[in-house]
Amino acid sequence: MSLRVYAIAYLIFLYAPIALLPIFAFNDATIIAFPLSGGTTKWFGELMTNRALHTAVGNSLFIAVMTSILSTLLGVCAARAGAMYRFPMKAGIMGFIMLPLVLPEIIVAVSLLVVVVQILDLGLSNWTIIAAHVLICTPFSIAILNGAFQNLDPSMEEAAMDLGESRFSAFRLVTLPLVMPGIIASMLIAFTISLDEFIIAFFLSGSSPTMPVYIWGLLRFPQSLPVVMALGTILVALSILLLTIAEILRRRGMARVGVKDKGGFL
Amino acid sequence: MWRRLTATEGGQGLLMVSPPLIYALALLAVPLGAILLFSFWTQDFMAVDTTFTLNNYREIAEKPIYGALLQRSLFVAGCVTIVTVIVAFPVAYFVSFHVRPERKSLWLFLITIPFWTSYLIRVFLWKVILGYNGVINTGLINLGLIEEPLTFILYNVNAVIITLAHAFAPFAILPIFVALEKIDRSLLEASQDLGESKFMTFLRVTLPLSMPGVVAAVLIVFIPTIGDYVTPELMGGAGGKLIANMIQTQFLALNNAPLGAALAIVAMLSVSAISLVFVLLNRRWLKGRS
Amino acid sequence: MTPLITLKGVNKHYGDYHALRDIDLEIGEGEFFSLLGPSGCGKTTLLRTIAGFESVSNGLVTIGGKDMAGVPANLRPTNMVFQSYAIFPHLSVAENVAFGLRKRSDLDTKAKQTLVEDALDMVGLDGYGKRAAHALSGGQRQRVALARALILKPKVLLLDEPLSALDKKMREQMQVELMRLQRHVGITFILVTHDQEEALVMSDRIAVMFEGRIGQLADAETLYRRPRNRQVADFIGKMNFLDVVVRSSNDPVDLEISGLGRVTISPDQVPEPVTIGKAIVGIRPETLSLLFDGETTDLRLIDGVVDEVVYYGDMTYYDVRVQGVEKPLNIAMKNVIGRPVLDVGAATRVVWDERSLVLLN
Repeated sequence: MSLRVYAIAYLIFLYAPIALLPIFAFNDATIIAFPLSGGTTKWFGELMTNRALHTAVGNSLFIAVMTSILSTLLGVCAARAGAMYRFPMKAGIMGFIMLPLVLPEIIVAVSLLVVVVQILDLGLSNWTIIAAHVLICTPFSIAILNGAFQNLDPSMEEAAMDLGESRFSAFRLVTLPLVMPGIIASMLIAFTISLDEFIIAFFLSGSSPTMPVYIWGLLRFPQSLPVVMALGTILVALSILLLTIAEILRRRGMARVGVKDKGGFL
Repeated sequence: MWRRLTATEGGQGLLMVSPPLIYALALLAVPLGAILLFSFWTQDFMAVDTTFTLNNYREIAEKPIYGALLQRSLFVAGCVTIVTVIVAFPVAYFVSFHVRPERKSLWLFLITIPFWTSYLIRVFLWKVILGYNGVINTGLINLGLIEEPLTFILYNVNAVIITLAHAFAPFAILPIFVALEKIDRSLLEASQDLGESKFMTFLRVTLPLSMPGVVAAVLIVFIPTIGDYVTPELMGGAGGKLIANMIQTQFLALNNAPLGAALAIVAMLSVSAISLVFVLLNRRWLKGRS
Repeated sequence: MTPLITLKGVNKHYGDYHALRDIDLEIGEGEFFSLLGPSGCGKTTLLRTIAGFESVSNGLVTIGGKDMAGVPANLRPTNMVFQSYAIFPHLSVAENVAFGLRKRSDLDTKAKQTLVEDALDMVGLDGYGKRAAHALSGGQRQRVALARALILKPKVLLLDEPLSALDKKMREQMQVELMRLQRHVGITFILVTHDQEEALVMSDRIAVMFEGRIGQLADAETLYRRPRNRQVADFIGKMNFLDVVVRSSNDPVDLEISGLGRVTISPDQVPEPVTIGKAIVGIRPETLSLLFDGETTDLRLIDGVVDEVVYYGDMTYYDVRVQGVEKPLNIAMKNVIGRPVLDVGAATRVVWDERSLVLLN
């Protein structure tokens, strides 16, 4: 019983910061502090007219979409190899691919910066960020897709081949539909991570910033903070929506193959 | 060659895993090698001098600022890890042992959601909570508990630790939860059948069996924490800056990438060394389990 | 018998592990054939080799006279019932059964539907077509797997431990149904099983496998009554083994059995040639019996003491110690009216007959 109270208190601690977001987003004062001074929606209005922000959001959306597709493709390869094949040095290879999960992000950022700028002498662009985001999102994709692939009976594809399908069409007709919820969940998670990622984007963005980099710039100017709150409210709402869809799909996928649900992502 | 590769299960597996493997080699192994190489070079404004030198490492060893920053970073990362894992364990335990199976994924979902929402804004909001006119100070003043706003909770190491502990919470809960879920419940009944109390059963059976999850949680919190510069920048004030801020400054403000690279290498080696020692110390818990 | 499947000198290596060793085999058209053996003996590998999921390291596999080397599973005239049944969980029962018909452009939707209905009817699942596959019971899944494979009219149906996931009652029921089904469709069935009773009940012929080799290939009665060696005799049913000295290996074969004395047997009771000297004879427990008070016999008798009694309801199994015989003899007695169950330690007399002996190397 006391454990339940503790767990609920912990959830409140987790949600405390984001619970404040809408409060200040609708507060009619430039200073982000108590006491509140009255409701307004003007900060949301300002979002609509901010050109620089729109460009930044455009960059972030492009990066996030590309990242979600590429990291999910790589994730499918790795999860399938991990769940369905035995091969030499498997543990080492899989561990290496999962390494970015624990690697400090600044290390990924500076090492790629050195390679792109100093060694390859290329300019920074949205694509440099995509390259780095794919690297850090692939382990998350693998973790999500692992669930889908490990629950798959390996004789399922064999059965399809036995019934006359080629290796590829067996994958398309049997495996793909069964792991599809996992694939969509993986794409949504990678999208969310990429959209929100700041540390790497700050190092690798070119002349045109991504949304988090733009927000970072805004944080220095007290008068623009309410706009950040309004933007944050929209982002949080969007994230929760995407994650909820991802979770529903993941559960539906589990139900489809008739496995008992044993936990969430990762 | 192709036929031989696709004929065996091992070959097919390697073929399947090769795209992500090649990607990780090209964008992780190669850049890490490059940064190591770079740390032995020097840079004067824009021109990079590629003569091999240990000057960067010498400078890091000799100037006390770097040692102090590294020490503080490791201290903060250690505190964050301990706080996060200790605070997270009961939650993982609660979800694994006291939540009905069909509700478990809902709890995990609720725990992970804040983790996925805008990191920058979350950090900034802690400033709002802990700040001079923040939630805590206003609340305490309104309750009449304090007269003047508290100042020791923002712009110092404490604030950095609180914020990071909040940011990494789900990272600690998930591995511990997974380890607890794997424990065969009949082991706990066996322990009680053999005469142990519930509390002693927890100490003698549950806790040792959950250690792999605790170790994973420690690593997954400790290592990335060292690379964060957003939280110290926003929450740390002058005295709360960490090694990652210095790396960022060397790369982006001072244009001394080789020194920044050397700092990154030193930071990474320190973290890896501490993690390795930690894993070795916990080897008896990890043996024979995956 | 017209051979449908032939294997010649088939070997399979996984690295250092030699999974199949020099397999020579012919399986006839319309035959119910079983591969029987303990786990790890290579029976499943052999089945998967025929199905086309494993390539042979060397040797020849032909089906219907065609060399199968390089022919993938989807192009072979075989279909398989998997151990896990591998029912596609995202499809309905009817969609599962129709899975292999996708490329049959000669059939329109209506014709396919009729085929599916017929196939479901054949396995006793008429009316189940619209059900979700993951909601089926074990026995129903197996029927779907059977319908799904048989709808393609394969020349050979391969069954990989198809009954192992079912409970005892269901298993016995499915044994009978599988036999009926095989007679009905008239094609070759190849069954992999570790359950000797299952193999004996269902098969025309059985290959008993040990460590990648075929230990004996014969029909059920021969396997049971004339096992070629101790390994086969031990794996199939229960058998008492007694030390013996062969005095003469001509007709009649002259034996000196330790504890039981000197007898002669017919060469028919010697499946593999033996030499003069030490050997082993086997006697099945049900060919021995105890002589109760008031009963008489013309057969041979020997005194013994009851060592152990295991009561099974319809049968009682006795272990009886006999002077000169190393291990107690295991004897199966039917529990008929008026026949008591003896206690441990009771003195008794064992009835035996040399015609039930089999001489082994």
